[in-house]
Amino acid sequence: MTVSTVAPATVEGGVGTSARRPDGILKVAGEFAYSSDLWADEMLWGATVRSPHPSAEIRAIDITAAVALPGVYAVLTAADVPGARHYGLEVVDQPVLAIDEVRYEGEPVAIVAADHPETARRAAARITVEYAVRAPVTDPEDALSRGDLVRHVPVRRFASAGGTALTADVVVTGTYEVGMQDQAFLGPESGLAVPAEDGGIDLFVATQWLHVDQKQVAACLGLPAEKVRLSLAGVGGAFGAREDLSMQVHASLLALHTGKPVKMVYGREESFFGHVHRHPARLSYEHGATRDGKLLYVKARIVLDGGAYTSSTPAVVANAATLGVGPYDVPTVVVEAYGVYTNNPPCGAMRGFGAVQACFAYESQMDKLAAEVGLDPVELRRRNAMTTGSVMPTGQLVHGPAPVADLLALVRDRPLPPAATGDPRERPGGVANTTRGEGVVRGVGYAIGIKNVCFSEGFDDFATARVRLSVVGGEPAVLVHTAAAEVGQGLVTVQAQIARTELGVTKVTVATADTSVGSAGSSSASRQTYMTGGAVRAACQAVKATVLARVGRAGELALVDGKVVASDGAVVASLVDLLGNDVVEETVEWRHKPTRPLDPVTGQGDAHVQYAFAAHRAVVDVDTELGLVRVVEIATAQDVGKAVNPQAVVGQIQGGTAQGLGLAVMEEVQVVDGVIRNPSFTDYLIPTILDMPPMAVDVLEMGDPDAPYGLRGVGEPPTISSTPAVVAAIRAATGRPLTRVPVRPEHIAL
Amino acid sequence: MTMRPITFFRAGSIDEAVAAVSSHPDSAFLAGGTTEIDLLRLNVVQPTLLVDVNDLPLTYLEDVDDGGVRIGAMARMSDVARAPRIVERYPGMSQALLLGASEQLRNMASMGGNMCQRTRCSYFRDGQSPCNKREPGSGCSALTGINRGHAVLGTSEQCIATHPSDVAVALVALDAMIRTIGPDGTNAIPIERFFLRPADTPSIEHPLAHGELIVAIDVPALPVARTSRYVKHRDRASYEFALVSVFSAMRVDDAGNVAELRLALGGVGTVPWRAHRAEEALIGRPATPENFAAAADAEFADARTTPMNEFMVTFAKRAIVRELSEVTS
Amino acid sequence: MAINQSTAPAETGLRGPRGEPVTLDVNGATYAIELEPRVSLLDALRDHLDMTGTKKGCDQGTCGACTVWMDGRRVLSCLTLAYSCEGHQIATIEGIAQDGELHPMQQAFIDHDAFQCGYCTPGQIMSAIALLREGNATTDADIAEHMSGNICRCQAYPNIHAAIREVRDADDGG
Repeated sequence: MTVSTVAPATVEGGVGTSARRPDGILKVAGEFAYSSDLWADEMLWGATVRSPHPSAEIRAIDITAAVALPGVYAVLTAADVPGARHYGLEVVDQPVLAIDEVRYEGEPVAIVAADHPETARRAAARITVEYAVRAPVTDPEDALSRGDLVRHVPVRRFASAGGTALTADVVVTGTYEVGMQDQAFLGPESGLAVPAEDGGIDLFVATQWLHVDQKQVAACLGLPAEKVRLSLAGVGGAFGAREDLSMQVHASLLALHTGKPVKMVYGREESFFGHVHRHPARLSYEHGATRDGKLLYVKARIVLDGGAYTSSTPAVVANAATLGVGPYDVPTVVVEAYGVYTNNPPCGAMRGFGAVQACFAYESQMDKLAAEVGLDPVELRRRNAMTTGSVMPTGQLVHGPAPVADLLALVRDRPLPPAATGDPRERPGGVANTTRGEGVVRGVGYAIGIKNVCFSEGFDDFATARVRLSVVGGEPAVLVHTAAAEVGQGLVTVQAQIARTELGVTKVTVATADTSVGSAGSSSASRQTYMTGGAVRAACQAVKATVLARVGRAGELALVDGKVVASDGAVVASLVDLLGNDVVEETVEWRHKPTRPLDPVTGQGDAHVQYAFAAHRAVVDVDTELGLVRVVEIATAQDVGKAVNPQAVVGQIQGGTAQGLGLAVMEEVQVVDGVIRNPSFTDYLIPTILDMPPMAVDVLEMGDPDAPYGLRGVGEPPTISSTPAVVAAIRAATGRPLTRVPVRPEHIAL
Repeated sequence: MTMRPITFFRAGSIDEAVAAVSSHPDSAFLAGGTTEIDLLRLNVVQPTLLVDVNDLPLTYLEDVDDGGVRIGAMARMSDVARAPRIVERYPGMSQALLLGASEQLRNMASMGGNMCQRTRCSYFRDGQSPCNKREPGSGCSALTGINRGHAVLGTSEQCIATHPSDVAVALVALDAMIRTIGPDGTNAIPIERFFLRPADTPSIEHPLAHGELIVAIDVPALPVARTSRYVKHRDRASYEFALVSVFSAMRVDDAGNVAELRLALGGVGTVPWRAHRAEEALIGRPATPENFAAAADAEFADARTTPMNEFMVTFAKRAIVRELSEVTS
Repeated sequence: MAINQSTAPAETGLRGPRGEPVTLDVNGATYAIELEPRVSLLDALRDHLDMTGTKKGCDQGTCGACTVWMDGRRVLSCLTLAYSCEGHQIATIEGIAQDGELHPMQQAFIDHDAFQCGYCTPGQIMSAIALLREGNATTDADIAEHMSGNICRCQAYPNIHAAIREVRDADDGG
């Protein structure tokens, strides 16, 4: 890892160190309690009846046979929902249980609680739903022409006032498609709802955002928020798929109805219906440039299939639109991005969130343009690379570091991997020995992407942290408490690191995330280290100020190794002595600088908080006769502002890059007439360890003056440009246009 | 999904196992379970009695007939793959075994069970769609559905489900013999007759009587198999079924003519596909790429394709030509 | 032999479909529990023996999260019936640490950050230790090939690779 700036002096286990995960021992020992591992005495098991049809009217539901089954405690339908009968992240439009109609295959229609999971499932199977099946709307263009619009985001910016004629010496056009990707976390949706004596509910669940769940669950249960208490159970991966509700309201309804704890765990097939997916997209682009490759304009039309309900489609459309030309200076931009309703599976958040689809298209276009003007793909990108001071198509000034050209140079300048040796395992097909070199062509491809970090468009985005300093067992100890969801990204590690650095105390515990402390916002949008990290830092600084105020001379003092130290290094007091039996606790609600909505006509506005960039170089060997691709190496360069935990940063970059590789060559939820045809890991393929190439990573640390420690969100950027980089490399090897991902062998070699 | 209630019997002897299954109409043998338990849980198969044959003394490998090998039906894929006599005499079979599934599954799956492996056709496995293999007479959803991975050889209007096994491809090339013990005594079934094409009865996959247990697979001595190979093209680098696989064993004489050839294909047929036409087209003829291509064309002359899977014909032909060319070079 | 549901199990050897006593040997201890024959080893461990370390990712043999050992060999507990395990030694992630001391593979997974969410980790570790015992981990390509039955969706594969390599090399060095 190369680090461009020298990090400040570090505290052991503090910011900038590769501190170990505090939950690591439990995880390797099998003792970490995931949401599916929870257990309560006398608990019941829930099951869900789902629609087999993508579109149908519900004529009747007969639950008699299910209720009659011994061991069944409750069978509930929409009529049994005591509060709001719909929920949603922003737009409240998704029924808790279907009301008179179903709009996608797998939509929940009824729920059952029984004393055994098998009894619950058998009861569910005994529920008779009479459907009048309707023809589903499954083509997004049809949906658009019918007016089934979730959101239209135009972004229009012109080099010269009033100039709408788009002309250039060199024009390249292309239409691209991105298939529906699944987050495919390994720990399916699950949780335990426990009825409380106060008539409320205690819900233990794997989620990305406890408080947004709390708000929706409380509304549907008809309870005040304080009676719906959520605690984070162990999360078996998220990647966006846990931002929307799944079993939260259902289990709570059943628990309140039966007076018993209710556990719900989805199976793998059910999980494909239990969460939103990445939006499939169709993107048409026109790039105009000078003969020496300077972009003059980009015109794009992007259609994202949102499926049956709104979910986070409005924000995904905004991302696709505002980030739709990539990290380039483009004088004139006309982007029209649409999200539509269909009867396909609902789509919403997945790592990269709208930026992934656009990046595949604009980077494919940049390669096409490079070929057209006779420039090297990296050189073309360099000539158009945005920099600090560039203006986004939204009119927003990029005032933080924007090392686009530097990142491209880093991946370009890495030595290329050597040609394959004689070992067949180094060739396409690998151990399956499909070639001894016949038909194999090497290709190299580049791509770079841009992602917004944190929530945008004027959203009141904040995180809350409570930090407590006291003496425990004769030494100073810190307890950090937030509602931020650890989903595997290492957030509990980072929170402890920040507390160590700020308070000079080694012994830091991070409490289980729950709703007894204020919202931390979502573990999404690459925002949690920025936001909850920022909140923890602010709360620590408040604690520190309180402590130092006891000594006086606050401005001159620091906390080091459990002691108050003067600027000359002299120890003024030990924290143990200073605190005695006192507890110093501060709770801080922390916000990033405000953003603004987009103008609905021009798409202009300072909508985003921070931009993050990653570049990839993919090297592939392609068997051009039989279509097999071996990704030989992927090099990534990413600016993270400050690597709070360098080891975790590299893990995020490698993992995100590999998920982009999956989209490039194998991952797609196949939907036919609104029906998912491959809801299993037999048919939905995820990269194995053999599909993952060596991954070289360069980490730049160009601090963002607005962000805590200068950091930049890490999780999403690597997912965005790895897909187009891999496809560019395959194109380089084959000369095929490859306008759709995932790329299959028959697209390469027929 | 959870499976329906079942009765369980752990057989202590072959006779006990055969008697238990043959005397109960809804019964099935349970070997490694890697297909059976999955399909039970999906409610695709619904026996009410499972007769566990894992304790039977059928895990042996022994020599037969001057250089052949008898493989006990309960020998596990991972053990067979690494058995020195298999690696030496039938390297292509060892490779086929190791390219199937994952190490965990290979540790579980038995050779006999592998012969009874069921198709991965998603319409068969979903337990709901019309499927003549699962529900005779209900129709075939794959004919007009997602059929990218479906068979192009040996199909019928009733079924185009692909046979998923790798090692069975090797075994059909090697003219193996399936040995069984059933209620009517012992039986030996030449392997090509063991795998039935769907024709009008896709639900009947093997000529086995109810209660007839595979006890061994005999692989005859075949010197040319000592240089056999198995190659497998697939959508993922590992832990995935074949798009196209090729087993080959070939001897070219001093004049450059094909003297001996065993060729079989996986991923493209409704059964593990012995490429008889290609073999016949090549034996006695010069081992040249042109002849290999002509032989591949002959093999696929009757291929029945769909818009989604017609690429497989091209791929399979290329794979055959490449494979035979490599063996020659 | 007579197959008759009304005949006493002791006479016929038939068991179930209702729950009956089963004896399972897990991590060196013997457990007598009542199970229906259809219960998988995975569900028996998780729901009846309170050993939730073994994870259910797919319940159909496609992810490897449920990997345990039977008589020292790695197998998938989701596709194994608990009844079939009687008389065999089962080992799970809960039995890997000895006397409170992590197994070197567990420690290596921590040191190399070989997981993120950790859901696949018990299966990865059970597979990785078995892999070294099988002796098929000579090269990086060997490791990858023989670990490909354990899916990690966080794609922490480079670090899993590194962890296994380290333990292998430490073993080689004595």
